[in-house]
Amino acid sequence: MASLFKDLAKISAYRDRRFPGTQEEFEEALLKSTTVYVGNMSFYTTEEQVYELFSRAGEIKKIVMGLDKNTKTPCGFSFIMYYSRDDAEDTVKYISGTILDDRPIRVDFDWGFQEGRQWGRGRSGGQVRDEYRTDYDPVIRRGGYGKLVQKELEAQRQLVDYGTGSLGSYPPVMPPPQYGRHSGNHGHGGSYRHGRGDYHRKRHREDDHHRSDYPKRSYVRESRRASDHESRPEKNPRFRESGDSDEEDDDDRKRRT
Amino acid sequence: MSSWRNLLLRLGEKCPEYAGNADFKDQIEACFSVVRREIEHSGDDVYPFLIQCAEQLPHKIPLYGTLIGLLNLENEEFVRKLVENTQINLQDALETGQCNKIRILMRFLTVLMCSKVIQPSALVVVFESLLSSAATTVDEEKGIPSWQARADFYITCILSCLPWGGAELVEQVPEEIERVMVGVEAYLSIRRRVSDAGVSVFEDIEETNNAVNEKDFLEDLWSRVQDLSNREWKLDSVPRPHLSFEAQLVSGKSHDLSPVSCPAQPGPPGVLSGIAFGRQKHEAELKYPQRIRRLNIFPSNKIEDLQPIDRFVVEEYLLDVLFFLNGWVRGALVYLCLAHRKECAAYMVGLPVPFRYEYLMAETIFSQLLLLPQPPFRPTYYTLVIIDLCKALPGAFPAVIAGAVRALFDKIADLDMECRTRLILWFSHHLSNFQFIWPWQEWAYVLDLPKWAPQRVFVQEVLEREVRLSYWDKIKQSVENAPALEELLPPKGLPQFKYSAEDGTDPTERALSLELKDMVKGRKTAREMISWVEENVFPAHGFDITLGVVVQTLLDIGSKSFTHLITVLERYGQVIAKMCTDDDQQVKLITEVSSYWQNNAQMTAIAIDRMMSYRLISNLAIVRWVFSSLNVDRFHISDSPWEILRNAVSKTYNRISDLRKEISSLERSVVLAEGAASRARQELESAESKLSIIDGEPVLGENPVRIKRLKSYAEKAKEEEVSVRESLEAKEALLARAVDEIESLFLSLYKNFLTALAEPLHDASRDGTLRPSGHADDMTIDLEDSSVMELDKDDETPKKSHPNGSRERNGYNLDEKQQWCLTTLGYLKAFTRQYASEIWQHIEKLDAEVLTEDIHPLVRKAIYCGLGRPLDE
Repeated sequence: MASLFKDLAKISAYRDRRFPGTQEEFEEALLKSTTVYVGNMSFYTTEEQVYELFSRAGEIKKIVMGLDKNTKTPCGFSFIMYYSRDDAEDTVKYISGTILDDRPIRVDFDWGFQEGRQWGRGRSGGQVRDEYRTDYDPVIRRGGYGKLVQKELEAQRQLVDYGTGSLGSYPPVMPPPQYGRHSGNHGHGGSYRHGRGDYHRKRHREDDHHRSDYPKRSYVRESRRASDHESRPEKNPRFRESGDSDEEDDDDRKRRT
Repeated sequence: MSSWRNLLLRLGEKCPEYAGNADFKDQIEACFSVVRREIEHSGDDVYPFLIQCAEQLPHKIPLYGTLIGLLNLENEEFVRKLVENTQINLQDALETGQCNKIRILMRFLTVLMCSKVIQPSALVVVFESLLSSAATTVDEEKGIPSWQARADFYITCILSCLPWGGAELVEQVPEEIERVMVGVEAYLSIRRRVSDAGVSVFEDIEETNNAVNEKDFLEDLWSRVQDLSNREWKLDSVPRPHLSFEAQLVSGKSHDLSPVSCPAQPGPPGVLSGIAFGRQKHEAELKYPQRIRRLNIFPSNKIEDLQPIDRFVVEEYLLDVLFFLNGWVRGALVYLCLAHRKECAAYMVGLPVPFRYEYLMAETIFSQLLLLPQPPFRPTYYTLVIIDLCKALPGAFPAVIAGAVRALFDKIADLDMECRTRLILWFSHHLSNFQFIWPWQEWAYVLDLPKWAPQRVFVQEVLEREVRLSYWDKIKQSVENAPALEELLPPKGLPQFKYSAEDGTDPTERALSLELKDMVKGRKTAREMISWVEENVFPAHGFDITLGVVVQTLLDIGSKSFTHLITVLERYGQVIAKMCTDDDQQVKLITEVSSYWQNNAQMTAIAIDRMMSYRLISNLAIVRWVFSSLNVDRFHISDSPWEILRNAVSKTYNRISDLRKEISSLERSVVLAEGAASRARQELESAESKLSIIDGEPVLGENPVRIKRLKSYAEKAKEEEVSVRESLEAKEALLARAVDEIESLFLSLYKNFLTALAEPLHDASRDGTLRPSGHADDMTIDLEDSSVMELDKDDETPKKSHPNGSRERNGYNLDEKQQWCLTTLGYLKAFTRQYASEIWQHIEKLDAEVLTEDIHPLVRKAIYCGLGRPLDE
């Protein structure tokens, strides 16, 4: 099929400005890489959730969570390294666009993780894409599958008719991203991001364990927008208590300095 | 993309390319007028593209065929080239055994025949070549009956063409086609019926003799085609656009088609005995796999009421779309994921048939997801397709999927173990894409079932996987409509650290643990830690305590995340490796890991998996631990030990298959290097043997500077060759070791299965079966009952609850030991089947050491089924 639709798309629409080579070398690297970039993740998503989902496409070698360069907390992206190229391809094909932790994630080939790339490069410290994120998951708004199952229980059997050539009536599943264009729902997307971004959390990672001179990480806790907290749990329920105590926190700092 | 290409791609679709006009006739005319002009400038671009369209969008073949028929009236030369190339492609596909391409190109030729592009008799000649190859293969004297899979495939291809051109063939060349039909019938009478025993989704460890009377795939297709023939070859599912242009098309000049030849038989003729036969049969079945095994999960009043042949054709369409729109074809240099996914769902929804087929579509997708031994693509692909279809048909498809889940759930006790695992993984992933909403109250009754009842285990494992994809509180919330099910949620997943302060653990051990933690904080090296262990801990406290302290403490430091775990293992894994050198010690190590992570199945599996990666634990130790009594006791209650076993075997298998890949690529490099070296040497020799004039004197050899240069080239090339050869030899040595490793893994696996099964089987099975005798009939009645209730539920009562008999409804009447045996035998079969190709290579050893005379018949049956080996050999 690809050979038929060849000219429709490039291997990646995103060109990493940090890549040290030419465009051709960049594309070459993407074609060989066994690393994928995962974007648009929830800030709460843990490595174990990522592992559960992505190991369904193959054996995972490594996961590197992207961290906000200011707060040193996860900021919605990660790199996943596989052992085999086929597995990496399968994640791009089969997992991109599906939901992880209530968010539609995107999965792209990446040219390979290097130290330093785990830090978000957006102006705010997070993902670049967050800066003009205006979309949100359309499935959730529609009520999704569960409601539909319930409808079914009400014996509602109005099946849609799809006779010949019904492609035209195929409803768009994802609205096209409106980069840079401020549409009506921008407000929603924006506050969503801030709400999440400001919520304090504690995560301890040492993705870059092989370097001893990496910068000391501070676990900044901000609560700039108290209003955002009201509807949220006080504590991220996904973290194992034992790994989350203040004592540990201190220990980690000592160890790193 | 230029417009003629778009017009060809979008032919038959309601789309902007055709200004929203979906009329086939108008579209073909519009497309024709553009393409015929294009041919004048660049015909050589057009026909390969047209063939590609037909190959990759096969449900549109009738449209392309008609278009080509019209082009044939204008430009015979162009169409002659197209036909010639199609024949070349088909010949190539036959030789390389590309099943899908063979099948599709034959359909394409059939449709070209309908549009008067090729002569009907030429098509019959193609049929006859395949038929004669098939007949020879199954001939016991001249052929190789073990390759029946290929013969069956060829016959399937012939029969599959008939819905597209049966009417035309019968009208135009009645005698020839009759000859083909007689030939097929004769073939059917001499081949062996294919047994699905090892690969059917609903298994039957007990023999219920139904299988003997059931048609196999080819017989089934044959009966559908006969039914079609009885209806004078009329069917609804194949559009016949050529009829609208019949008046023009008749004047076309039909081209001849060069005959095709089927590849020679893969070996000397004759019937092989025992092992050799089984091995070849296995190989043939891998190369020419059966495309689909129907599930028949919906009650007959639900599934669309189609003619037998229409069902077959729609399945073909769906499977083709699934195959050709799988993200992108391997090796292509484009990234098309999202575009393609939409295309896939859209094409599946918009097939050119005048009836509805949601149920058939769901059943077809599930048949692929659950196809044994392997689905054509990774299961996540089907997850994605189902998600996209639910979104594309929000009013219809989710309900159908829910119906399929209920139907499968009702029969879960008969579902193959591997399929159960796939279903659990799929369902949890699916629900995670739809906010985890499911009417759990329908299944709340599983709490009344014993904890080993398959339905209860299924619910529990789905919840476990949901928690892994999400988090505990969220999943607890999702079962709000059946709060009692909380009982089946996994524990909250926190670690159990032996030396945490609150516990009343031994103060000395706790002190050691703290000391060790300080060493980690102090960034002591692994070497320093090893000498601390060897000098201060081990002599005073002995192995067990030392191991406990080291493993628990390191795991605790690495407990925060997957990355923390990897980090600590990378840094201090050597400490563990130094302590645990043999299997006994490693089994203790695993026990320690599973005790630390006893509340978290995922982390247990990950930690063991990583330790195997770092070679701290051998696969044999994992097998031994999995078969230790603590785990054996929960074989029928939890997937967790099986998950760990699956990981260990698959990691071993991945190692060996990576090595094989590396070796085959090195072998190619060796050939290249040899070529380069010999060319360099020849060049040098020829330069040396040439006479040249230096200082007026004839001297042997060319200009010395050049000779020197050539010499150094030749040396370098030789060195290169030697070095590639050396790395090949090194890899081959590694492979030999890996082969030994996997052989001993399988032997150990089987011996452990045998030991574990021996006693329980002896106790539980009466008359060589596991179902209580006398209950077998009840079972069938129960199943019928359940489908009747299904009707009730769906047509009348909106709420599904059976207060008075859910247990009877599901016919669950096994005692614990029986269920344990069934589950364990099911996993035994699943492991065998998944690695059958590997196991066949070690079958002699297995026969000698495992499959001895005295093994229990049910064990033998599970293994033989998994291998696809006839029990009566």
